[in-house]
Amino acid sequence: MEIGPILRAMIRNKLGAVLITLQIAFTMTVVINAIFIINERSNLMARPSGLDEANTFYLSSVGYGDEFNGVVTVRDDLERLRQTPGVVDATVTNAIPVSGSGSNTGVRLVDDEAAATSFAAYYRVDEHAIETMDLDLVAGRNFAAEDVQWRAGSEAITTRELIISQQLANNLFPDREPNGVLGETMFINGSEAHQIIGVVEQLQGPWPSNSSVELSMLQPNSSVGSSATYLIRTEPGQRDRLMAEVEEMLVASNSNRIIRDLMSLEQTREGSYRIDSAMSTILWAIIITLIFITSMGIVGMAVFGINRRRKQIGTRRALGATRLEILRHFMVENLMVSTIGVTLGAILTIAFSIVLTSSFNMPTMAWYYTPLGMIALILIGQVAVLGPSSGAARTEPAIATRSI
Amino acid sequence: MLQMKDVCKVFRTELVETHALNEFSLTIDEGEFVTITGPSGCGKTTFLNIAGLLETLSTGQYLLDDIDVSTLSDYQRAKLRNQKIGFIFQSFNLMPDLNLFDNIDVPLRYRGMKAAERKERIDEALESVGLFARKKHVPSQLSGGQQQRVAIARALVGNPLFLLADEPTGNLDSNTAHGVMDLLQKINDDGTTIIMVTHDQDLASQSKRNVHILDGRISSSDLTTVNENAEPRAVFA
Amino acid sequence: MLFYYLRLSALSYKRNPILSSLMVLAVAIGISAYMVIYTLNYVMGGNPIPQKSEQLFHVQLDIGNPNQSFDPPRQLTYLDSMALMRDGRASRQTMSSKFVGIIEPENPELRPFRSVGRGASADFFAMFDVPFLYGSSWNEDADTNLQQVVVLSRELNERLYGGGDSTGEILNMEGNTFQVLGVIDEWNPVPKYYDVNNGPFDTGEEIYLPWNLIPSLELSRAGNTSCHKPVVGVGWQAFLNSECVWIQYWVELETPEAEADYANFINNYGAEQKQLGRFEKPLNNNILDVEEWLIEQEVLPDETKILSALAAMLLAVCLLNTIGLLLSKFLSKSPEIGVRQALGAHKGSLFIQHVIEAGFIGLIGGLFGAVLAGFGLEGVKVLLGEDLMQTDWIQLDLNLIAITMLMAIMSTIVAGLYPIWRACNVNPAIHLKTQ
Repeated sequence: MEIGPILRAMIRNKLGAVLITLQIAFTMTVVINAIFIINERSNLMARPSGLDEANTFYLSSVGYGDEFNGVVTVRDDLERLRQTPGVVDATVTNAIPVSGSGSNTGVRLVDDEAAATSFAAYYRVDEHAIETMDLDLVAGRNFAAEDVQWRAGSEAITTRELIISQQLANNLFPDREPNGVLGETMFINGSEAHQIIGVVEQLQGPWPSNSSVELSMLQPNSSVGSSATYLIRTEPGQRDRLMAEVEEMLVASNSNRIIRDLMSLEQTREGSYRIDSAMSTILWAIIITLIFITSMGIVGMAVFGINRRRKQIGTRRALGATRLEILRHFMVENLMVSTIGVTLGAILTIAFSIVLTSSFNMPTMAWYYTPLGMIALILIGQVAVLGPSSGAARTEPAIATRSI
Repeated sequence: MLQMKDVCKVFRTELVETHALNEFSLTIDEGEFVTITGPSGCGKTTFLNIAGLLETLSTGQYLLDDIDVSTLSDYQRAKLRNQKIGFIFQSFNLMPDLNLFDNIDVPLRYRGMKAAERKERIDEALESVGLFARKKHVPSQLSGGQQQRVAIARALVGNPLFLLADEPTGNLDSNTAHGVMDLLQKINDDGTTIIMVTHDQDLASQSKRNVHILDGRISSSDLTTVNENAEPRAVFA
Repeated sequence: MLFYYLRLSALSYKRNPILSSLMVLAVAIGISAYMVIYTLNYVMGGNPIPQKSEQLFHVQLDIGNPNQSFDPPRQLTYLDSMALMRDGRASRQTMSSKFVGIIEPENPELRPFRSVGRGASADFFAMFDVPFLYGSSWNEDADTNLQQVVVLSRELNERLYGGGDSTGEILNMEGNTFQVLGVIDEWNPVPKYYDVNNGPFDTGEEIYLPWNLIPSLELSRAGNTSCHKPVVGVGWQAFLNSECVWIQYWVELETPEAEADYANFINNYGAEQKQLGRFEKPLNNNILDVEEWLIEQEVLPDETKILSALAAMLLAVCLLNTIGLLLSKFLSKSPEIGVRQALGAHKGSLFIQHVIEAGFIGLIGGLFGAVLAGFGLEGVKVLLGEDLMQTDWIQLDLNLIAITMLMAIMSTIVAGLYPIWRACNVNPAIHLKTQ
């Protein structure tokens, strides 16, 4: 077709073409890597915690003064919570999944400091935890009420039952079905021997950015000192109403304590992933800005080039070029610049992605990002140049004979 | 005042070598009004560009006010243009976004003159072309003849040694052109040398001296007399 | 001449308003995006106490499970902290850690509330240049004699005492009474270098008291605790005797010799402890000054590092755009440049004129960019939210505005170098003839 003459004209005006090529290359590098990061973050954010997050909230009760009795308060509170209409179940816990704050311990299969150790989060709860958290017990049994130890102050732990997450079971016993790990002994907190009585399908630990977030376990005991955290699941749609009512009820029930940290799990998740969602928003802003700036650049340079060649276009028209041919001329010109741009862009994109992977512990970018990005950038360029090109196509042939 | 001796100007492209001026020699004295004529492509413009120090010569010698300009730097040539030469162009070449005052101010700015003196001179120059009242106007608010008068004021404001006029009436209708020519004649009568490039034989014949260029050389250099029965135009066409 | 050229620049801007505004927009967007990220980096990676960061050292002792290759823990055990304190080898030293307590205000209109506090040694305030609004901190006697005294944050003082001079007041917390010795002024170093355990942008504490009161009054510990061996037994005493780390330890060492001496001292201490059967890993004790410590702790998040690279590329795209637009603009001015040359402009004056014209575009871009950056930082602040971390530092200050302007002007001029060069080398002869 007319690639030859277009290419030769472009080489004569090389700076304009070089500028656009570099812009397209940089834009592609940023946009593709940013989209990859956004996707990675949203994958992280989309991981379920295992809980019924939409209908669950929690709060802390902190007692003070000499009259305050922790053991009595916690048992009374739980009783009252479970009887509240709209509440499905409630439990006491030392930590809230995904909240960023909790405890973990080394886990071993043999009682030897030198043995391989995993680190797993633990939740100290009562027998209502499975129901409150809405966990799927895939093997074994729930804690019985008699299993649960209510520890006043810092009494030593005497319980030996554990319910673990399936991921933890897989880590410890790679080849076994969940049923196959029941009854096994694991050592936690140094050399405390505990027995696996159940496996739940999924239960995230409190630290979402930690690589061992899926490793967790439940222990049937609760330290009832001056403060306690209650996790409460409600019937669908009742959460917001109950959050206010429950707080009021607990405040009214005992004057020697304060209720704090009233939060839904959704709020907690939002807070824990705040940096990730902020990052995504900032990246979107960068992507949109860049595409805008680059499109403006393409439009600007196209308008400049067309104005400069206005008379030449008129001459072409006078020599018989149709509007479509003029339009195609500029579209092809842009296509060629874009093609060089995205080719360079592909190299830069992959190079930058390698830097991200090696320096920031990010996963490798899937292969299809780069070709999709190349196509997208070419399309953006074609759309951007469409306006000026059709303007050029409307050039009157008479302009060729006009002297000024 | 202006002496060119064996000036050559060669333009080279990959394929051809064009002698725009070829062993061109010309002397112009103070107070003269010289018209330069010749057909399209004869070297008129090249002469004008070299005389105006806008282009350098390839070989030969050019003395401007006894200064050999062929060895001057860009900076020195700019200074000479600023101080000794006033330009008048066919398309006026006023700065579209500057008002008349600021347009005339341009050469004085490059001379580094004090504000008070600049103002005095600009006002005087505008007065002399009869446009003082419009000094705050921008060129687009003026007619062609008025614009050319501003350009003349701008050319004169620095008291140049000579004016270089390139088809100064080419874009004007004949009435206005007459006005402009009268103004130039008056300026010449006041003592300023004028070198005017034109293809208009009527104008050329009005001047005291006409230089005709053909193929980069002077074909005739006459002190013309004002003669109503001049040679037929066909000779020069 | 500067003002003349500035006026010409303004006129030139008006002649192609769309083209000029596009350039301003490109510069403004590029610079503002870069400045927003730069601000985050600058503060997050900055030095929170430049006047003495080289004299403050964070102490790490490498205790841990020899079978695991963890780095030395951030904090010290109670046993080690007390031993280092007892020797007191540095010119100043402080152990410190967080606690939480319920404050029961005297004022019956205020309900009891929970407050996060910090136990610290007397030197803490002098070491970290903590500014006082009223009163002063406690002295070493208070540390050793377990005097129940407190220093309040400005905010807590406002909440409890309406912001007045509350020194001498008696405060009720966790069933104990404390005498208020002083109130500190606004003090929120970013990063919170003296305790990065809960994130480098954690909010400051509201109430300070002699560290020894934490175990003696059995206050609830807060912050981060990490144990490489299980606690043997139950109760506070068992915990104090454990190998759990939970105390931040800082020393002030004025000279390199003092630094060397102190490094020697903790290594000797480590060797002694080895003989007693503790410190099972090879000796790997550390004293790091503030900046070394913040780098070691990787306080600067990956996010801002990645964003810096992306913002730099965004700026590059904007400047490439500006090069193209400036070139178009200057080339379209060729006839005018030709006339100026005829009227006596030499290359030098054309160069200055166009540098100023490019700088003028940069200046307007910078002004606009500073406004955009201001909005951008507000946006980041909203995205991060005040509820989880300190965000007051995310703002434009005069310094940053000045840097923004300077960068905008300089980068536009740099982007303009080629277009300016072209403008200075216009051949006047071509442009003076009627086109």
